Amino acid sequence: MSSIEASFQLDYPGFSLDVNLRLPEKGVTALFGHSGSGKTTVLRCFAGLNRAPKGRLVVEGEVWQDEGNGRAKGIFLPTHRRPLGLVFQEASLFPHLSVRQNLEYGMKRSGNKAGDGFEASVDLLGIRPLLERGPERLSGGERQRVAIARALLTRPRLLLMDEPLAALDLKRKLEILPYLEKLHDELDIPVLYVSHAPDEVARLADHLVLMEEGKVVASGPLMETLSRADLPSAFADDAGVVLEARVEGQEADGLTRLAIPGGRLLVSRVEAEPGKTLRCRIHARDVSLALTASTDSSILNTLPARVAAVVATDTPGHVLVQLELAEGVRLLARITERSRAALGIGPGLAVVAQVKAVALLA
Amino acid sequence: MFLTDADLQSIWLTARLAGITTLILFVVGTPVAWWLARTRSPWKGPIGAVVALPLVLPPSVLGFYLLLAMGPNGPVGQMTQALGLGTLPFTFWGLVVASVFYSFPFMVQPLQNAFEAIGERPLEVAATLRASPLDAFFSVALPLAKPGFVTAGILTFAHTVGEFGVVLMIGGNIPGVTRVASVQIYDHVEALEYMDAHRLAGVMLVFSFLVLLALYAWRPNGRK
Amino acid sequence: MNLRQFLARSLVVFTMLGAGTAQAEKVTIAAAADLKFAMDEIVAHFREENPRDEIEVIYGSSGKFHTQIQQGAPYDLYFSADIGFAQELVKAGHAASPVIPYAVGRIVLWSPSMDASKMTLESLADPKIARIAIANPKHAPYGKRAEEALRATRLWDKVERKLVYGENIAHTAQFVQTGNAQVGIIALSLALNPALADKGGYWLIPDNLHEPLEQGFIITKRAAGNATAKRFADYMNRKAARATMTRYGFVLPGESTGR
Repeated sequence: MSSIEASFQLDYPGFSLDVNLRLPEKGVTALFGHSGSGKTTVLRCFAGLNRAPKGRLVVEGEVWQDEGNGRAKGIFLPTHRRPLGLVFQEASLFPHLSVRQNLEYGMKRSGNKAGDGFEASVDLLGIRPLLERGPERLSGGERQRVAIARALLTRPRLLLMDEPLAALDLKRKLEILPYLEKLHDELDIPVLYVSHAPDEVARLADHLVLMEEGKVVASGPLMETLSRADLPSAFADDAGVVLEARVEGQEADGLTRLAIPGGRLLVSRVEAEPGKTLRCRIHARDVSLALTASTDSSILNTLPARVAAVVATDTPGHVLVQLELAEGVRLLARITERSRAALGIGPGLAVVAQVKAVALLA
Repeated sequence: MFLTDADLQSIWLTARLAGITTLILFVVGTPVAWWLARTRSPWKGPIGAVVALPLVLPPSVLGFYLLLAMGPNGPVGQMTQALGLGTLPFTFWGLVVASVFYSFPFMVQPLQNAFEAIGERPLEVAATLRASPLDAFFSVALPLAKPGFVTAGILTFAHTVGEFGVVLMIGGNIPGVTRVASVQIYDHVEALEYMDAHRLAGVMLVFSFLVLLALYAWRPNGRK
Repeated sequence: MNLRQFLARSLVVFTMLGAGTAQAEKVTIAAAADLKFAMDEIVAHFREENPRDEIEVIYGSSGKFHTQIQQGAPYDLYFSADIGFAQELVKAGHAASPVIPYAVGRIVLWSPSMDASKMTLESLADPKIARIAIANPKHAPYGKRAEEALRATRLWDKVERKLVYGENIAHTAQFVQTGNAQVGIIALSLALNPALADKGGYWLIPDNLHEPLEQGFIITKRAAGNATAKRFADYMNRKAARATMTRYGFVLPGESTGR
């Protein structure tokens, strides 16, 4: 059951867009693709800033645009009539207004004169000390936090974010990511998050839409979609899966023990209570395969698995192996064609996955 | 006061003419500048060129055509007569109309530049915050273009004060109605009243200098 | 506009002066605006007789030329609609000749839209006439005479509100010709010009209502010894030139005030 249906076709010189999307009513959907893939254009079509001539957009049963079925008079709500929030890539605060006035600008115009959620949003994004300042006296990260709060205070039914971290340096990114994660946990409206940074997607998204050359090439729940072996080659070099891991306990030698479906992982010490759920990302290039469990290796994390599929990659001599752990959880491993042949790896074979590195995302 | 009453009258008249012209041009020039700054219409070029015409046209050409157009047989004159307003030449409001044409580019071009410098983004942001296009214009575009408005206002006022050729062509040199300071100076010179000319010219010189000083003092702030 | 043309042309003249004195035989005439049509014709005839002489005429207000000659403007002959300006220049030592009277001007009521020939000055008080154009009495000779005539007939106070002032007599005629003023007091010489005579008509204002519009010219000091200037000055007294002047409504010195 999708709460958002979108269909946009556009033809610009040198670029055409043709997407049909169904998005869940909650959670963060990442619109992921390289620059030029059309993901920002899709987001602008959602906002009504670009107008796809035969577009259709229905949000929770409410038609925002419907011009596709040849009716004499279509529906196209202009941007200011759509109950949405949009956070742009670069700082977009009004320079002639203070932070507080920026927040009030949208509140007043969206019928939120009473300021519902003002205190909560200000605290959620940690901008209380900034309220009386002018935008020119904020750092890039602070500006984006204000912009997010400003969008939330219009009480949108859909939040659109256009690479909100792309213009920030790494330090500012790390500063703002925790706020986005909090947002993810506390927000009960759908979020469409455009990004070309895999780490951000892995950390924040629940659903993933992959775009290439104006078309959707894959779409679905994040973990399932990432673990597909048949992703277009453009994404294969960065292939990897995201797993939910539960903290089991701390080891005496400075490691932390995590439980994942079908096995355990030992990682560098994480300061987290047992039982807490963490996201971790395992790159395909950090997984190697063995036919038997060996005890004479430095690699700590080994997981029994079954080969589900083997596909070629763009890099000559390399293949991508999709592995099935217990309980349907998947891993991807990138190995050379030579090793594949030497070990006789093919669908159905039982192997041991050796995980060289685990990236903890939160 | 070392100026004669006639001189003071001409200065007051000039100030009134320039002030009213500037106010009218704020109202008339702003939508034109807005349109020019944001349109993608193929008419942008031709309209922009027409707006800039008074920059290049000799005031005598402009004055001559205004005299013909606003005269009893001209299209504007026919219209004003039909409306019961009589004809415009030799009247204060005729000078106002002429000055509006004459100073048009001095209002429109700084505003157009200011609007163009704002770009699309702040208006898109405003739209996502539920501001209608008109609301966004007043609550975002106008405040952001404020330096442009100050520049345009000062330039328009100063340029209207400096107007001579057009006024001479359609004003008829009537004291208190169309005899502005620049014409008054010209009359002093023609009548060989050099001392009177010097006094009034001196006032104009000081005024012009102060206006330009104000403009340059403002600009560094406006460019922030 | 006259002023603008004048500036452009004087620039050219100045440039030539800077280039050297090889063109000594070239003559520039500064002439009152009322002479426009008559002088054009006279100069055309003069050129036919003297094809080698270069002559250029600049028309404008007599008062302005007077000022400019005092400031060293490069005019060789100065035809003033007010003989007083020419006399002042002689006194101040700017002339190479005595003042030579060449005409007496007349003023007329003229209108392209009404039959002015049936009017008198009293008609100007008629409320149907909203605008009357005269030359600026402050510095234009024709304007001074127009004011005198209106005062002599005790009309000045009644019509002053309706008056609009042209920079010179040609500019005044333009106000009337474009219909922006219904009536004007202009030079007879202009009213007789074909371009204006086609429309409406004129009424000659009796010359006992105003001081005579005595007009005179001088050869300026810079043209002393300029043979062409001398030739042209003599030509003005020749029969052909006098006939042209008469045809354009000027009364000539030594002739009775006819018409």
